[in-house]
Amino acid sequence: MDQSIYQSLQTGIGLLLGCAVITPWLSGKRQWAGALNFLATLAAGLVFSGLAIQVLNGNSAPASFDLHVDLPWGGLAIPLLIDGFSAVFIVLISLVAAVTAFYCIGYMEMDHYRHYSLRSFHFCYPVFIAGMIALVTVDDLSTGFTIAWQMMTLASFFLIRFDHKDPVIVRSANKYLILMELAWAAVLAAGLMIPGCGWGTPLHQIADQLGMLDTGLRTLMLALVLLGFGMKAGMFPLGQLWLPDAHSVAPSPISALLSGVMLKTGIYGMLRTLFWMTPESMPARELQYWGLAVALIGVVTLFIGTSQSLKQVDAKRLNAYSSIGQIGYIILAIGAARFYLGPDAALHTLALLAILGAFLHVLNHAIFKSLLFLCVGSVQYTTGTKDLDKLGGLFALMPVTAIIAGIAAIAVSGVPAFSGFTSKWAIVASTLLSGKAAGIFVIFGVVALVTSAMTLATYVKLYGMTFTSVGVEWNEKNNVHEVSKAMLAPKAILAAVCLLQGFFPWLFVALFGRVLATSEGTLSQALGTPAVFDTLAQSYSGIRFLGSAGTPVAFSLPLVMVAMLLVAGLVALWLRRAGGAEERSAPVWLCGYQTLNNANRYLSSHIFDAFKKFMKWTGGNVRA
Amino acid sequence: MTSTPLPTLLSILQVFLNLLIFLALAPLFDGIVRRVTARVQNRQGPPLVQSLYDILKLLGKENIDSTGILPFKLAPLIAFASMLCVIAILPMAGRATALTQYADAISLVYLLTLGGVAVLLGAFASKNIYALIGASREMTTMIMVEPILFMILLLGVLKTGSLDLGAVIYGTPMAAFGLPGVVMIVVSLFGLQAFVARQPFDMAEAEQELLGGPFIEYSGPNYALFKYYMMLKQMFYAYLPIAMFVPLLGTGFYLADLALQLALTALVFLLIGLLSATHPRYRIDQAIRYFGVLFLIALGAIAAAVVL
Repeated sequence: MDQSIYQSLQTGIGLLLGCAVITPWLSGKRQWAGALNFLATLAAGLVFSGLAIQVLNGNSAPASFDLHVDLPWGGLAIPLLIDGFSAVFIVLISLVAAVTAFYCIGYMEMDHYRHYSLRSFHFCYPVFIAGMIALVTVDDLSTGFTIAWQMMTLASFFLIRFDHKDPVIVRSANKYLILMELAWAAVLAAGLMIPGCGWGTPLHQIADQLGMLDTGLRTLMLALVLLGFGMKAGMFPLGQLWLPDAHSVAPSPISALLSGVMLKTGIYGMLRTLFWMTPESMPARELQYWGLAVALIGVVTLFIGTSQSLKQVDAKRLNAYSSIGQIGYIILAIGAARFYLGPDAALHTLALLAILGAFLHVLNHAIFKSLLFLCVGSVQYTTGTKDLDKLGGLFALMPVTAIIAGIAAIAVSGVPAFSGFTSKWAIVASTLLSGKAAGIFVIFGVVALVTSAMTLATYVKLYGMTFTSVGVEWNEKNNVHEVSKAMLAPKAILAAVCLLQGFFPWLFVALFGRVLATSEGTLSQALGTPAVFDTLAQSYSGIRFLGSAGTPVAFSLPLVMVAMLLVAGLVALWLRRAGGAEERSAPVWLCGYQTLNNANRYLSSHIFDAFKKFMKWTGGNVRA
Repeated sequence: MTSTPLPTLLSILQVFLNLLIFLALAPLFDGIVRRVTARVQNRQGPPLVQSLYDILKLLGKENIDSTGILPFKLAPLIAFASMLCVIAILPMAGRATALTQYADAISLVYLLTLGGVAVLLGAFASKNIYALIGASREMTTMIMVEPILFMILLLGVLKTGSLDLGAVIYGTPMAAFGLPGVVMIVVSLFGLQAFVARQPFDMAEAEQELLGGPFIEYSGPNYALFKYYMMLKQMFYAYLPIAMFVPLLGTGFYLADLALQLALTALVFLLIGLLSATHPRYRIDQAIRYFGVLFLIALGAIAAAVVL
């Protein structure tokens, strides 16, 4: 037990809670309060990051200790566990929280929010962050879990219903609260119902107890826990119940936090359940069935979520549905990894590729989806709308936001050399390479590939209808301009991280190696060995995945791709100039219509009309 | 860490040879289609090199920019560049280029998609309603057709257990594909017109109704780049099934293999010309249903390949 880790955790949480107490008193001076909120989040984030680096650098595996809280009516003991996995989630939460807090300073000055007090906002924001940090550090399913979950849920509930004068928003927030409490109840029920477990039983004991149960009861318990965490993560069909409504009505920076990091706490829970709470004594077959079931849910989630996202005309709903789809990829990868860790040792290396894909996609999705929400937020800030039918032509008016949004959009679409590509490559490759050993996963892989084409279509539409094409000039506001530097800076930081993730995936593979080395449990035992880890050959240019014979069978080499594309682009540029053609600008040729106007325009809701009809059965349809 | 074998001089030459073959032959193959169409319609038809003349002429014509924003100017460059990359990594006639080792089947498919995205980017930037209608149809076609193409490659992946392009395309003797291979050949024949975006599947450009769709606002060198991109893409799509399913001669002579493959590709273009000259255009909703059926058949073949 390392005292300094424990102290850093306390300091960080203390900073956040202290900020929650102090800042609301300053909320009369809105920007000062925002700045204080940012500083506290940043300071706590730095403390947490220091802690995480210490954990990841440590050669001893996880730090676990009990947190003792002395209350008047008796002491509480909460088991905590900080290993490599929690450390990465902690850094991720800290980074996105700090960047978003900075963005909030400017964003909450939006005209629409002027008449709202920021008191509750500034109370809830740090509590929300503290709750998420707590959730990825507690090591039980009862006491600590309840405190963390409720901090996270209640604070985010009030943040979502910030615009409380709109009954639709209040209804969405209420629905969110009810479903999250149900999820809490499901996990807690499992945590308490397992014989021999009570308040404050750590996970490894729960796992031991589960091993002694008979199959039926054990299945029920694991199902309850997965149901709870799956509800949070946005798993089909539970995600559709709350996620699009809650994410689209919250203030944009809050949506960024919800989508970027809060959903990942559900993924964290699923990872812990499938790889830490499954006892050694459990039959391998049964574990594989769990893997298959989870992967199947993941495939359905990614397909349905993305095809619903394609249909949306509200930019934030589109992002929210797409989050369900992207979470589906992660769930698929987790399930595949669980399945591959069966008796067939040849599949173990594929398990490594799959779980690496899940890990990378958690990191990548957190960054690009936060970025997309912040960009849509900026658009909403300056135009007053997030309806894609009313937007268009913003590239000329807000070029910096447009370029940043472009980076995020190609990252989510998985265009080679950008961040979504490597994680999707790992996930798809791990399913396809299983071949005959796990045939159904090949079909899953094909579905995942079809879906990434749909993701592309979704974001081509979002980007095209917001930043290129035409339309915003006929909107109610005509003084559309770029947002302030203070709102561009956070986006620029996230965009830089996003590019880094895309171009240098091997950095994150190395990080993943540290995570495996500083964690315990099935994953580290089976995959952390040098023999297995060597199948991921890394070099400056990317990652190669080696087959059983040691020859590379799959590659993701973004730097080479970028270099190739650049050279080819220069050739194209030369060719374009080779003829010495003159350039001239002229208005659009409208085939006889004299002027372009709002009535003579192809709207976002018309796009992919035939395809949307074809996919009507997947639900999530928008008004005809 | 594995060290990549240093590219030999020959494999570097191979990159340029690939590019040369594609850049030189793609306009000629386009010429075949135009000639066949003309013959079906009782016309003489233009000379085979007419498409190349068209491109050269367009390169010198006035470049009109209707939007003044970056995506509009960038789109033709990205489209053309992505296609050059695809060609550069393609192992022709069984011989890997210096760049083949840096790309697997998944990156190939995503690179192809990048070209499509560039077309859409340009179309969306055009501010023209016809371009948007075309873009919408183009994207819909892409969602349905790319997976079918990928499943053809997947057959090779399943047989060899590798995503390496050389292994995927040439790693399996024809007989080893068995029944799924036969089904996939049929699928690629029925998908051919969609792959090359010719009638009956040219809804996106549909000259008679959309006046070129995504390309309507493009002129001069920008349009030349897009036209060249389309020709290269068509040649790639016609070439790929030949490479996958027609075995190499095994004489050891690279040029003999290459000549056979290219001759067969020319035959495929003859077929493309005949089909497009004799078929009316589908509506987009009809096309989606057609692709849907094709997709399910291909998926069935994959399932069979996994089980058998």
